[in-house]
Amino acid sequence: MQLIPLVLYVTAFAAYVWHFAKRQPTVGRTATTLLVAGALAHTFAIGMQTVAIGHIPFAGPTSAIGTFVWMLALAYLYMEMTTEERAMGPMILLLIVALQTIPVLRPVIEDRDAVLQGPLFGVHVSSLLFAYASFALACMIGITYVLLFKEIKAKHLGFFYARLPSLQILDSMNQQATILGWVFLTIGLIVGWIWAVQAPATDPRVQAMQLQDPKIFLAVVCWAVYSFEVFGARRIGWGGRRTAYLSAIGFAIVLLNFVPVGYFLTRSHNF
Amino acid sequence: MHLLLVGISHKTAPVELRERLDFQARGVEGALRAIGARGATREALVLSTCNRAEVYAACEDLSAARTDLIAFLSEFHAVEHAAIAPHLYELTDLDVARHLFRVSSGLDSLVVGEPQILGQVKDAHSAATTAHTSGAVLNRLFHSSFAVGKRVRTETGLGAGAVSISFAAVSLARKIFGNLDARNVVVIGAGEMGKLTARHMRSQGVDRVTIVSRSMSNAARTAEAIGGASAAPWEDLDAVLGASDIVITATGAASPILTKARIESIMRARRSRPLFIIDIALPRDVEAAAGEIEQVFLYNIDDLQATVRENLARRESEVTRAETIVGEEVDKFAAWLRSRGAVPTIVALRQNFEAIRRSELERLLKVSSLPPESRARVEEITRLLVEKLLLTPTEQLKALGDADTPASYTEALTRLFALHAAAPSSSGDAESPRPRVVEGPFNRSSSKTGS
Repeated sequence: MQLIPLVLYVTAFAAYVWHFAKRQPTVGRTATTLLVAGALAHTFAIGMQTVAIGHIPFAGPTSAIGTFVWMLALAYLYMEMTTEERAMGPMILLLIVALQTIPVLRPVIEDRDAVLQGPLFGVHVSSLLFAYASFALACMIGITYVLLFKEIKAKHLGFFYARLPSLQILDSMNQQATILGWVFLTIGLIVGWIWAVQAPATDPRVQAMQLQDPKIFLAVVCWAVYSFEVFGARRIGWGGRRTAYLSAIGFAIVLLNFVPVGYFLTRSHNF
Repeated sequence: MHLLLVGISHKTAPVELRERLDFQARGVEGALRAIGARGATREALVLSTCNRAEVYAACEDLSAARTDLIAFLSEFHAVEHAAIAPHLYELTDLDVARHLFRVSSGLDSLVVGEPQILGQVKDAHSAATTAHTSGAVLNRLFHSSFAVGKRVRTETGLGAGAVSISFAAVSLARKIFGNLDARNVVVIGAGEMGKLTARHMRSQGVDRVTIVSRSMSNAARTAEAIGGASAAPWEDLDAVLGASDIVITATGAASPILTKARIESIMRARRSRPLFIIDIALPRDVEAAAGEIEQVFLYNIDDLQATVRENLARRESEVTRAETIVGEEVDKFAAWLRSRGAVPTIVALRQNFEAIRRSELERLLKVSSLPPESRARVEEITRLLVEKLLLTPTEQLKALGDADTPASYTEALTRLFALHAAAPSSSGDAESPRPRVVEGPFNRSSSKTGS
């Protein structure tokens, strides 16, 4: 079920790379079409899983990664269609392909534990997944910003100079994606905290929901990094390249928390 | 029908001669009418830019048309033939197509890949269309050239990158700030260089230009001369820089007026807003170390020149790809031209078949009394029969690959079906006794050409 979206994402990735290198409009349109097809196939796959298990599949780490990839594909498509800018395509698709291989190689749909019933859990997970998708976009936009910044600063106007939009546009896109992600991260954390307070304390995983738990600790660190980027960095003159680096650091923490910590280290979130 | 080109360009003629042969000055429409009135060509088009003056023509007799066009150039511009002849180039048939495709894609331009030429080629075609001097052949040739220009632009980097210092500076500013409309530009120095640069910025859509000079009266005078600019006193330089986005320094100061420490202090107040400094002064106005400050982009005249050189080299490296595209499009045009050569034979063949169909139909209707609906049905069936019989030969004839085969095929068809006898209007050409079915604009509407 997850293989068809992966195949379409891989072909879209190849088309985006080709378009980035050769800048042929028809190849660009083909890349977008392939990504739309991949996102539709993914929507269908998630829809079928939802019908099969009775709820959106995001209870376990594998299901959550699959849903995150789907949200990222949709968020990127929205950004591409509103800005008519495909330059970030290769990097976003690389991330999409890398993460989508996890549900393909480990095709399990984790069932929702009895303790996870109720609307608060759904709001908590969907908010965080959307926040992570926004942060992924911000990170990739930040990386492209740094690549262009370095070329202009080094006075060697080459490959990226000819292909990327202006620094101002990249900075503004990065800022918007980060703010959106921060809002949803905050909502997700608050709702998660409310859920943990009212959850049955007899469950050992609920008992482990403390700041010392690596998953929760990294989520709070992540929130602190993005809060600084949104509210503090520009006030102290950390604009442009430094905020781009902050976006990359923040998303590195997100990935760390999402994959290795989510699978192996957490005691509170192993549902 | 043959294609002919007679003209001069920046590659063959000095600017003095190009000025004398400038069609724009004497009127392109008048020139087109004059060519039509001479009667040696069937179609004509004039392409006149500051770098070239070319006459494109479609004609039956190449030699006569060539002599006539050269004489026309001399007479129309009142320039002795001897002064033009050494600088003229003459091209025929597919060489004309190759040349025009190279011109429209910017390969033949003074600055390789410059974009204005495609618009000028379109204007030239539009003028010929308005004057009714462009017919089927030149229309096809020029429409193909527009497509070649577009293909080269989108599929290669031939037109990429700024190739003049002023455009390199504007292109960099756009890459840093995006839209320049709402940006503040400060020009330090009220000399000629400063004035020119400020004018260029205004022409690029920058609304807010401030001139700062040690002499306030000079700054005010320069601001007034530019129009829409304002002047600020030298003492306010730091405050003005704090609010600016792009700084152009062009003073005659012997030592740097903007040191790293001074710019660092200005940047602190600006927080993270980037500052693009273009130092076109010699000796330099800005300390080179200022370029190390985060969010400061410092370019001097040498940096911009290096960028221009890199862009020119990059364009040169794209020439081979562009030439390949031109070659492909010339092949396509050649195929069209060949298929066009078979058109008179195809038309004659159809007329022959149609005549047979009609005569047999009339014979049938004389001997039998068919009701009207049956007559219509028989009419329809026989028409479709002729269409189907001729469909494959028509397609085969149009698709013949090389240049020689169509002539032998048309010759064979003409003999087999006695087409020259069947066709009512033969061209009288000894080599190909085919009916003339395609008219040029001059012989179609001679009154329009003033003859």
